[in-house]
Amino acid sequence: MPLKWVFNWQPNAGSTVNSQILNEVSQCVESMNGVKEGRWKATLTFYKPMLRDQALAAEFPREFIGISLPEQPNKYYFILRGNKIVLEADSSIQLIMEKLQSYKSRVALNFEGFQYQLGDFQLRVGKVVPTHSENLRGIVMEVEYLPISSLEKSKQIMDEFVEIWQEAVSKRSLPGHFMHIEPNFSEYGLADHYTSQHTAVQYAHVMGHLIATVQAVQAGRN
Amino acid sequence: MLQQHQHHLQYAMTAEPPPSSTPTTSAPPSSTTVEAPPKQVAQAMDRLGQAARLIADIRLGADRLLEALFIAAQPHQSSKPLPLLRQEDESMRKHLQDLRTVGKQLEESGVLNDSLRSRSNSWGLHMPLVCPDGAVVAYAWKRQLAGQAGASAVDRTRLALKAFTDQKRRFFPHLNDEEDGEGTGNMSKKHHSLPAQAEDSQDNLSDCKTLSDILTNLEKDMPNLKVFTYERLDWLKRASSLPASANDNTMEAPKHNFHSSSILRSRTAPQNVVAMDKIAVIELFFPSVFRAVVSLHPAGSTDPDSVAFFSPDEGGSYMHSRGSSIYHVFRQITEHATVALQYFLGMRSKTALHCLLHWICSYQTLFSKVCNKCERLLAMDRQSALILPPVRRPYQSFSASNIFSTQDQSSNAPEAYHIGCFSDGA
Repeated sequence: MPLKWVFNWQPNAGSTVNSQILNEVSQCVESMNGVKEGRWKATLTFYKPMLRDQALAAEFPREFIGISLPEQPNKYYFILRGNKIVLEADSSIQLIMEKLQSYKSRVALNFEGFQYQLGDFQLRVGKVVPTHSENLRGIVMEVEYLPISSLEKSKQIMDEFVEIWQEAVSKRSLPGHFMHIEPNFSEYGLADHYTSQHTAVQYAHVMGHLIATVQAVQAGRN
Repeated sequence: MLQQHQHHLQYAMTAEPPPSSTPTTSAPPSSTTVEAPPKQVAQAMDRLGQAARLIADIRLGADRLLEALFIAAQPHQSSKPLPLLRQEDESMRKHLQDLRTVGKQLEESGVLNDSLRSRSNSWGLHMPLVCPDGAVVAYAWKRQLAGQAGASAVDRTRLALKAFTDQKRRFFPHLNDEEDGEGTGNMSKKHHSLPAQAEDSQDNLSDCKTLSDILTNLEKDMPNLKVFTYERLDWLKRASSLPASANDNTMEAPKHNFHSSSILRSRTAPQNVVAMDKIAVIELFFPSVFRAVVSLHPAGSTDPDSVAFFSPDEGGSYMHSRGSSIYHVFRQITEHATVALQYFLGMRSKTALHCLLHWICSYQTLFSKVCNKCERLLAMDRQSALILPPVRRPYQSFSASNIFSTQDQSSNAPEAYHIGCFSDGA
């Protein structure tokens, strides 16, 4: 499937994310002849084990993440970041987990926004909000290059696209920038040919950055 | 106003000029002096008939005048045709005057200038229309609705010629310079193109006469490339079964591998080798970069007739040498490749397939080679408002010996250009 880079909004030191930034970014995409196509939504859930004996909690991985992606409505993805494991499961697994009462959702986040077409590129800009709140926690962006699926072959193209993008965004003097750090896919057992599992891993890493950013801001306040 | 012209109709034989009143283009429809539309149409047709007869008379008169002049030019006969000339002069003037009159009437009734098209009260009837080239169209409105049917033959021809010229300019740009020359000019230009044929000699093509040689040669030059050959219908089956699975290092049984003796590929199914004389489709596959489909016509020959590029992950029955990719980048390359193919067929007809296949291979660097002009990989194409990599590769001075699948950055590497950076002379 076409390859994709997921970006995380990194606010400048001392500033926070707000919906105005989201608007500016959307306008920027449209200024590059992006055609708005529709909405998209992904969800990310932190699970914690339901244990009778809380002492066993230490044996379980600290971060157990479940992700649903809009391009795979019948699948659900699990990631254990510490153990570098990614798993693709059927979406009915959520029901099974509920019935078994094995894991409970600790925190659930939605990534939602609009999708744009720029020729052979597809862009998604979205806000990060907790499931039952409108509190903006972050902004993510997906850049997908549709014609090819090889991460290696596409690296140059994507680098240059990011350059073009940064050039367009820098004109708006926003307090921050989009960051992309490619996770080490081979550690997760993933190959050069892009799949939704790659996307799930990228989102898990984006979460990591998001949390780190929030914690840094809080530490700065204290 | 109309009454005056009716008066003229009755006195059509008069020689005095009509009053210098400016003809109106339309009369108020509700006025009592205007006839009902059927009569208008009948009158218009009548007048057109009159005009035609007058024109015929004028032609005859001109012939007679010329004859009289000819006789007058003979020695000893110079005075004979004089009464003849006088008579003709008179009748010619009369005819021309009548024609002027009828013409004015026709002009007013809108037959010559289509001014009545917007008239609402015409009972569904329409005045005949005389087209600029002289053809009479009985129903002017049909021109708009029926398009070509109402147009005169000259208009149709003009439109057809324009469409043809546009297509020619688009797909055969190298033929443009032939338009200026006359017969001898054409010959000299054709002589100029002969040196281009001489370039082929440096490509060591003496051993590339047959299809088998060409394909073997190609596989040798391009280790990264996977070449497959098919009979025409087999390709359709293959195209519909694409995209193959992600880790497609082992081939499925239906594929026809050209090099059946290749040990590197492990296969359990018996290998089907396509008979050389049945090969109609050649597939060039650069994994993760692109898939190109070339059609040969007739099967088994070395004459390519069409080429198309596709994404390596694309699949479906629309994937054939005259098909179109769903991605812009490959659509652009296909269009450019079609022009290159016509160039190779026209200018290097003996080695067209060899050149084409090697030229296609120059696209293996599609996603890595920066444009030779602007030195960037991606650029926004102004015309289509798309961000594209360099999709143009020059073909006119192309030499197959430059194409190897090693470094992209070597000085001999084939050039690449964005659409906007490419000039035809390359």
